[in-house]
Amino acid sequence: MPFNQKPQKFNASINTVEIGCGDKAIKLGGECTFPFYTFDAPMENAPKIGVEVSDLGIASNIPGIQKFYEGASTIGEIAKKAETMEGADFVCLRLEGGDPNGEDKSIDELIEVVKEVAEAVTCPLVVEGCKNVEKDTELLPKVAEVLQGKNALVMSAREENYKAVGAAAGLAYNQKVGAESAVDINLAKQLNVVMTQLGVNGQDIVMNVGSAAVGYGFEYVVSTMDRIKGAALSQNDNMLQMPIITAVADEAWSVKEAMATEEDMPEWGPLEERGISMEVQTAAAVLASGSDAVILKHPQSVATISKMIKELM
Amino acid sequence: MTLFETVFSGNDAVYGLTENAINAAIEQHGADKAISFPNTAYSLPCYYAVTGVKVGTLGELKNALGVVKTLMTRENRTHDVFMSGVATALCAEFIEVLKYIDGATPYEEPCYGHLADAVIRELGVPLVTGDIPGVAVILGKAPTTEEAVALVKSYQAQGILVTLVGDIIDQLAEAGMKTGANLRVIPLGKDVTSVIHVVSVALRAALIFGNITPGDAGNLMKYTMERVPAFVNAFAPLNDVIVACGAGAIALGFPVITNQEGVAEVPKSLICQPDVSKFNATSLEARDIKIKITNIDIPVAFASAFEGEIIRRGDMQVEFDGSRVDCAELVQAVDASEIEDHKITIVGPDVDGMELGSKNSIAYVVKVAGKNMQSDFEPVIERKFHNYINCIEGVYHTGQRDMLRIRIGKEAFNAGFRLKHIGEVLYVSVKNEFDAVVDKCEVTIYTDPAECTRIRHEVAIPTFDKRDERLDTLTDESVDVYYSCILCQAFSPSHVCVVTPERLGLCGAVSWLDAKATNQLDPNGPCQVITKERPIDERIGEYEDVNEAVQKLSQGALQDVSLYSIMEKPMTSCGCFECICGIEPFSNGVVITNREYAGMTPLGMTFPELASMTGGGVQTPGFMGHGKHFISSKKFMKAEGGIERIVWMPKELKDTVAERLNKTAKEMYGIDNFTDMVGDETIATDPETLVAFLTEKNHPALGMDPMM
Repeated sequence: MPFNQKPQKFNASINTVEIGCGDKAIKLGGECTFPFYTFDAPMENAPKIGVEVSDLGIASNIPGIQKFYEGASTIGEIAKKAETMEGADFVCLRLEGGDPNGEDKSIDELIEVVKEVAEAVTCPLVVEGCKNVEKDTELLPKVAEVLQGKNALVMSAREENYKAVGAAAGLAYNQKVGAESAVDINLAKQLNVVMTQLGVNGQDIVMNVGSAAVGYGFEYVVSTMDRIKGAALSQNDNMLQMPIITAVADEAWSVKEAMATEEDMPEWGPLEERGISMEVQTAAAVLASGSDAVILKHPQSVATISKMIKELM
Repeated sequence: MTLFETVFSGNDAVYGLTENAINAAIEQHGADKAISFPNTAYSLPCYYAVTGVKVGTLGELKNALGVVKTLMTRENRTHDVFMSGVATALCAEFIEVLKYIDGATPYEEPCYGHLADAVIRELGVPLVTGDIPGVAVILGKAPTTEEAVALVKSYQAQGILVTLVGDIIDQLAEAGMKTGANLRVIPLGKDVTSVIHVVSVALRAALIFGNITPGDAGNLMKYTMERVPAFVNAFAPLNDVIVACGAGAIALGFPVITNQEGVAEVPKSLICQPDVSKFNATSLEARDIKIKITNIDIPVAFASAFEGEIIRRGDMQVEFDGSRVDCAELVQAVDASEIEDHKITIVGPDVDGMELGSKNSIAYVVKVAGKNMQSDFEPVIERKFHNYINCIEGVYHTGQRDMLRIRIGKEAFNAGFRLKHIGEVLYVSVKNEFDAVVDKCEVTIYTDPAECTRIRHEVAIPTFDKRDERLDTLTDESVDVYYSCILCQAFSPSHVCVVTPERLGLCGAVSWLDAKATNQLDPNGPCQVITKERPIDERIGEYEDVNEAVQKLSQGALQDVSLYSIMEKPMTSCGCFECICGIEPFSNGVVITNREYAGMTPLGMTFPELASMTGGGVQTPGFMGHGKHFISSKKFMKAEGGIERIVWMPKELKDTVAERLNKTAKEMYGIDNFTDMVGDETIATDPETLVAFLTEKNHPALGMDPMM
């Protein structure tokens, strides 16, 4: 019997969210099929790749990363270099130095970093806070203010501070808002509901539904993303039709496979290769589960994932 | 003069002034002269917000005045009053913009006049988040300087943004009070027309934060009404112009509170409060503003870290013991007018009047009021008291209702802990956690033994009895809606609990009343209303609406469920069930086992083994997870014949549910001591022995139709 292909096309689609301005602006989402099901219908926009830089500079002990940024000393120079990475679509600035349990940099200091990066790059900018809720509640509205006119994505509004971050980024300063939840479809949806009730336009929201490195409870991530895309497309649930962005680098490079030195674990092989492998596997898996963008760190991971996306489109 | 006439005449007066001022300005500067407020992209903000038309020159301003005139209809209807109020406000904006002609700076320290867009973006965020809980517009001259200062300070202490118009600015200056945007006290100007600068803030906030299209007056007013928590305090004497401006404020949803006696009051909108010291409370109540309380004022720490702390007899200053003397804890829903918020009363001796190590009576009654409060929530709030009081460092609480025990440690006592601090903890905790339903809360603590006896026997116990009766009479048929609970979807993605009065969540922790309260407190949370208007099959408890809800909430993983059958479309189980019920084919019955029981069951499987095939949000006919309370429900597998099918339970579980189960068996089938017929692990853990036992006891299941 001949194979009879029946395209599974949905009458719903993921929102298209534009980040950045001008020629280099990118569009996330827009698809009306499951990830890479290009045999059902063309994917509106290819998934995008961001390069993570930190206000703490190049703290990495990974030779490939150190080599790539060689010669760049200021955060502006680092960011400028990052946007030239092969396959990169945007830069993601993490303000991890703001963490009160870490360097506890002042908000003014961090805002200077944001300004410097914003001036240095021409590609779209994503800014992530320091993950401490109290600090981010103060910091992210200031970030949104200082980036007026850049159409940046501010990450992330969470259940605890969505009002401050959502109102500042989404309403007062016309940025895009990242909505972060912890690997749970209902929490993700609830956050989108309350954020839109606040007045933020659903078309301005990008979800960060949480992640894990592959092998670290990753099946929860797959199931969550899968169900979100399922509900968004097959049930036309417009409170789940926001595109998904996943911060992969942070997860992938902080598990033991990507951290244990070669001296400690000679049988595991070179540290750098392991880290890249974790990063590539995680990124490939979240993209296949429905992420519309991933944030990575290593040049080789970016190149590999970029190639993968091109081949699958 | 009626309110209509007052507003109309005030409006006419302001209109006349505006017309003259514009004409004079055109004469002086010409119609092409540019006019604008500084630092705003919305000029003129109020007129632009209401009409969608920008005004840039004096000539255009004159045309705009013509449009304003069309709002000034003169029929005696509320609509005309509101529109005349809006017209008055717009006239005020026109008069104010003329002051700024030629880049003039008409306002000097401490007055601000027009506020820039940047200020609104900055203030807007805390307004949206509730960090600024309200905006007070104070207008005129307070009776005394002291009252002016006290009123402004009371708002300041609550984080409310205060704007000032008129003589009160001088009064504050006279008292040496500092003002300024950073202190959230903003003097606008001395002329009454300068009030438009705060209206301009509200309307631009609607454009910026509410995405309101300029000119969409309907949605604009809806936004200010719902989202801008502003109110007006206008001091006597009021003139027609102020009343007309007030009508404009009311049109935007901002109530006006005044001490002008004899003013024609409009409920919730125009309120006379002769006592200026009560302006604050009256205003907050009228505008539904709730102040978030961030710290609890007690001499010891308050944190969940102290929840498990035990006070031993030797470390104890005093104790209150409901098992020996009369004690009670009670929440009562009352009407808002009956109580005063944050009032804490002690009736009887305080801790320092009690002997060291003594046993005393205590009864605390927490009265709550709120628009969304229902008496069904009383026990939900009351159940949290254990947790609240335990979180106090050096204080320990067990039990509930009239069987409670509290110990206060010596260290806490020496740190200054007294009964009023228990009141403080209860007040703050209830207000914070239940802010969706509780608007006002008052606490009375009785330690006088006679009073405690009275409260316990005449107030508390009758209330408890009434609640129990309500729970007993609460049936699936007697309510209009059920609730979903999807709290467990994090690990059991397709599971949906349908919680009904007679079938609580399978974890045992979510009753129908809990689900109802959860829904009220967190309307977007895990418990959503499920209607039950379209029954498909009453026998197994299947409804079209329930199926639709389950389909939606499981993202299509489940198509249909029944509420009362274990065989046909049974409800799914997550993994948190207290008990598992499974079909036992030899006796035509079912076996129930609970999580605590580690041994074997006659099904040849232990609890964990059964759990692995029952959980995970899949429908497994013949098996279901459920709460302990459900065992004695009349709806327990009603479709298959009900509790008569139960043939085996672990002994401990059987003893726990015996009283209620026997009562149900007696009511439904006329069987006495039903649990005596039910096997347990001391009788049998294999089917043959069990059937022999059931035969000997003449268990009804043996004579029933096979379940499959």
